[in-house]
Amino acid sequence: MTVQMKVESPTGINPMIRHRSGHIGSSLPRREDRSPLLGRRRYVADLKLPGMLEVAFVRSPEAHALIRSIDTGPALALPGVHAVYTAADLAEVGSFPHTIQYIRPVDQRPLAEDRVRYVGSPYAAVVAADRYTAEDAAALVSASTEFETLPAVAVLDQALAEDAPRLYDSWPDNRLVDFPAEKPEVTKAFEEADHTFTETYVSQRQTGLPLECRGVVAEDVDGQLTVWSSTQSPHIVRTTIAMMLGIPEPQVRVILPAMGGGFGAKTHQYPEDIVLAWIARKLGRPVRWIEDRFENLVSTVHARDQRHDVEVAYDDDGTIRAVRCAAYCDVGSGEIFMPGTATVFVTAGCITGGYDFPNMEVRPVCVVTNKTPSGAYRGFGTPEGMFVMERIIDRVARLTGADRVELRRRMILQEDQMPYIMHSGGKVDSGSHAKGFERAAALIEQSLARAKARYADDPDVRVGVGYNNYVEPTTPTYHLTTGHWAGYDSATIRVDPDGAVRVALGNTDLGQGAETTAAQLAAEALGVDPDDVTVVMGDTDRAPYGLGAWGSRGAVVMTGSVLMAADRVLVKAREIAAHMLEASSDDVVLADGGFHVAGSGTPKVSWAKVATAAWARTVDLPEGMEPGLEMSGYFEPPDLEHLPGADGKVNAAATWSNGAHAGVVSVRISTGEIRIEDYAVVHDCGTMINPMLIDGQVHGAVAQGIAGAMYEHFQYDPETAQPRFASFMEYLYPTCSEVPEMTVEHFETPAPEQPLGVKGCGEGGTIGPPAVITGAVSDALADLGVDITATPVTPAAVRRAIREAAARGAAS
Amino acid sequence: MTSDQGSREIDLTVTINGMEVRRRVPARLLLSDFIRDEVGLTGTHVGCEHGYCGACTVIADGDAIRSCSTLAVQVDGSDIRTVEDLASDGELTPMQQAFHENHAMQCGFCTAGFLMTLESVDPDDYREPEQVVELLSGNLCRCTGYQNIVKAVCSVWGVEGRRRDSQ
Ligand code: FES
Ligand code: FES
Repeated sequence: MTVQMKVESPTGINPMIRHRSGHIGSSLPRREDRSPLLGRRRYVADLKLPGMLEVAFVRSPEAHALIRSIDTGPALALPGVHAVYTAADLAEVGSFPHTIQYIRPVDQRPLAEDRVRYVGSPYAAVVAADRYTAEDAAALVSASTEFETLPAVAVLDQALAEDAPRLYDSWPDNRLVDFPAEKPEVTKAFEEADHTFTETYVSQRQTGLPLECRGVVAEDVDGQLTVWSSTQSPHIVRTTIAMMLGIPEPQVRVILPAMGGGFGAKTHQYPEDIVLAWIARKLGRPVRWIEDRFENLVSTVHARDQRHDVEVAYDDDGTIRAVRCAAYCDVGSGEIFMPGTATVFVTAGCITGGYDFPNMEVRPVCVVTNKTPSGAYRGFGTPEGMFVMERIIDRVARLTGADRVELRRRMILQEDQMPYIMHSGGKVDSGSHAKGFERAAALIEQSLARAKARYADDPDVRVGVGYNNYVEPTTPTYHLTTGHWAGYDSATIRVDPDGAVRVALGNTDLGQGAETTAAQLAAEALGVDPDDVTVVMGDTDRAPYGLGAWGSRGAVVMTGSVLMAADRVLVKAREIAAHMLEASSDDVVLADGGFHVAGSGTPKVSWAKVATAAWARTVDLPEGMEPGLEMSGYFEPPDLEHLPGADGKVNAAATWSNGAHAGVVSVRISTGEIRIEDYAVVHDCGTMINPMLIDGQVHGAVAQGIAGAMYEHFQYDPETAQPRFASFMEYLYPTCSEVPEMTVEHFETPAPEQPLGVKGCGEGGTIGPPAVITGAVSDALADLGVDITATPVTPAAVRRAIREAAARGAAS
Repeated sequence: MTSDQGSREIDLTVTINGMEVRRRVPARLLLSDFIRDEVGLTGTHVGCEHGYCGACTVIADGDAIRSCSTLAVQVDGSDIRTVEDLASDGELTPMQQAFHENHAMQCGFCTAGFLMTLESVDPDDYREPEQVVELLSGNLCRCTGYQNIVKAVCSVWGVEGRRRDSQ
C-alpha cells in the first residue's frame, strides 16, 4: 500500500496508525447487501407497532389560494377515522426556524394556515385505523375545503415582472434573495475585449426521486418520543422537532432505519416529521405516514430550475476575457427548511469548474413561484453551472474558429497552480485536471472515429463529441445553507471486553455503503479485521451528534472522526498493554491484532485482554487509570470556512474532487433521436477507501446526470401552475435502456490537508452529463447551425433547434 | 366516495412461499399491502404504487406480476413467491451472490423487484446483452445506473457483457 498520508495521527499524539493491513483501497464487498438480498432489510414503511394508526395528509389542489374554511365533519363521521387536524390544532407548534438573515422570511408552518402557495402543500392531517380509510377521509376533507383562488405565478419571467402577483404580501417583489455582484476587473475586461455575445441558458426543474419515498413513524411512551424517519440527518431532525414542539431534546430520539436512497431530497426538515411527532404525543398512540409517489412528486423538494442570462467578452484568438452572469433560480414557494437558496450560490461559486478563469461575475437571484419548494438534489448547483461554462467555451470556439479541445487545454487548471483560489474563494487544493482531461479525450477518441465510420453512409445521422472538466466541492459547510449547523462530524469507538470494536457515527447510510467504509477505516486504524467491527449510525440515542450524509462528505468526515477516535483509543490501550508487558508504552507497538514490545519476541497482548482489563478486570489496569475503553472524535475538516470574508469570498468546501467527462453521441436529424455511443469518466477523489463503491457512486450519479441532460423535466402549466405530472408515466425516469455502459477510470491525487488524503465522491457524476450531452449534440449538428442552450435535450428539442437554426440561417 | 367502498370483504386463500394463507380481506386491498401488512413479508417493496417501477414484483403461478397494481382477491388460489423465498437457509442463490459480488445494489430498495423479475424468466431466452438490458428495463433503480446489475446478470447467465462502443 503506497497511499500517501499527510495526517497519520489526527490528534498528533500517536504515530501508530499506518496503512499496514491494506483495508484502505480494497474493494471489500458490502456488509449491507445481505439483508436486502434476503428481503430482510428494514425501511421505515416496514415498521409496524402495536396499536399503530395511519396518517394521510390533505394537500392543496390549488397552486395559490386562501383557505376560506375547512369542514372536517364528513371525514370525522367516517368509521375508522380517529382525528382530523388543521393548522389551528397545531397553534402551539412553532414555525420552521428563520436562520439566514439575508433571505426574506417565509414563516413556514407545519400545516398551511390560511394560504397555500403550491399544489401539494399540506394543510390538514387525517388519522385513521388503516391507510385506505385515512385516504378516503383525506379526500372528504379536500372536498369540504373552500378555497379562494389567487392568481398563480408559474414562470420565472412572470414572477419577476413589476406587476406580478406576489406570494408574500409583506415583500416588495418575488425575490427571496438577490445578491448583486460587481467586479471592476470584469468591467475592464469587457471594455478591452474584441467581441461580446449574450445568451440565455436554462436548466430545467427536476426532483431527486429516491425509489423509496419519504416516511415517518412516531411513538410517544411516557413522554419519550421516538421518531423513525427516512432522513439523511437524524440529529438535525431531532433538534428541529425538539425546538418546534418545545420539548427537551433528550426526550426525542430519531432513528433512520435503512434508507432507500436520498440524493439530497431527504436532507430537508419536512413538515410531516413535525406533525407526526405532534400527533403521536397528542393521541398517545403510534402513528405512521408513508408518502406515496404522487405526494413525493409534489411535496418532496424539487431542484435545478435555473436560468442564466450571460454576457461573454472574448478575443479573436478564442481567449475568454470575462463572463457576467445573472443566475436566476426558481425556488418554488420557498416554504422549506433548510431553504432552497443555497444551490444557486454553489452554482455561482463553482461555475468555472476545472478552469483557470478568475474574471467571472455572477449575481445569484432566487425567485419564488407557485411551485413545489426546491432544495437539494445530488450535484447541488454544480451541473447547472458547468453546463453554462462548457456551452460558453464551445460557443467561443465556434465564433472564433478555435479548436474546442485546444481552447480547453489553454484554460484548464495545471498541477503547479495548486492550491488554486477560484473567483469565489473556493480553494482547489489539488487535482488532476489537465491529465484527467487528456485521458478522457483519449478514451473516447476511437469510439468517435468508429461512430463516424458506422454512420458514414447514413446522411440522416450526425456524430458529435462533448467535454466537461469539473470540480466537485465536497464536505461543504452547512452554515451557509442552514444558517445554523456548520461542518464537523463524529465517531465514538468502543472496544468491548471481547476485543470486538463498535463504531458509532454521526454520519448516515443512504445506500452508499457507509457501514462497510467505516468498518474498513476502523479496521485499518486499530489493526483488526473489518469483520470484527460493528458499525452503528442513524440513531440519535446510539450514535453521537453529527450532521449526517449530504454534500459528499461521508468519506472525509468518517475518515477524520474515526481516525481521531481510534487514535485516542490506541493511546489508552497501549498504556494498558505496556503495563501488562511491564514495558514503557513508547516501546509498545500494535501488530497482527495485538500489542507487543517493539523488536522483542515478547508474547502479544490481545485487544480482548486490554479491553477486558478496561471494562471488567480493572484490577489489571495501571494504578490510577480510569476504567473504560471508549473514545470519541469530533472532526472539523481543516480548511473549511463557514462565513465569507470581507471580500465576499469563502472556501465553502473542505475538499475539491475533480473529474473529466467525455461523450460521443449520434443524432438522427429527421427524428431528433439521440444515442449515446460512448461515455467516459476520469475521476479523482483523492485516496480511495473502497474503489468498487466509488465506481458505484460514479455510475449512479452519471445516470442521474444523463436523466437531467436528456429526459427528466418537471413541468407545470404556465398559466395555472398545476403540475403536469402525477406519476412515473409522465416523468421520464431512465431505465436500463437509457443509461449507456460507461468507462470509469481514476486518478488518486490526495487532498494535502485531509486525513489520508480522502476527498468526497458522491455527486461528481451528476455534474458532467448536461454539459457533455449538449456539447456533443451541438457538435454533431454544428453544420446545421445548432447550438443547444437548454436541458433536457429531448428529440423534440433537437428538432426545434434544427428548425430555429434553419430559420436564423434563412434570415441572415 | 363512501365508506361502503372499503367495507366489502372477501375470503381469500393463497399459497405464499409454500405456506397456505387464509384471510378475509377488503375487496380493494392491494396485493402489495396484503403481502407486506397482512402477511408481514416486507421484502417486497413499494416504489410507485402505479405499476411502473417494478419494486413490488412478485411471482404468481410462475409469472412476474406487479403486486401494487393487483388486488389481493385477484390471486385467490394462486401460488405466490416473494424475495424471501429465494435463498434457502440463508444460502444466497447464484444471482443473489452475483449482485453482492458485482455491487449491483446500493440502497437495496429495488433489489427484490429485480431478483423476482430475473427469477421468473428462462435464462435461455436471454443470450444477448441487449436482451438482458431490455428485460431489466422493466425495473427502475435510482442508485446504481444499472451497469453493475447488467454485469451481475450477464455473469450468472453466461452472457457476454455489454460492449461500450455498441450502445
Ligand atoms: S410499486 Fe409496483 S410497480 Fe412500482
Ligand atoms: S439500489 Fe437503490 S434503487 Fe436500486
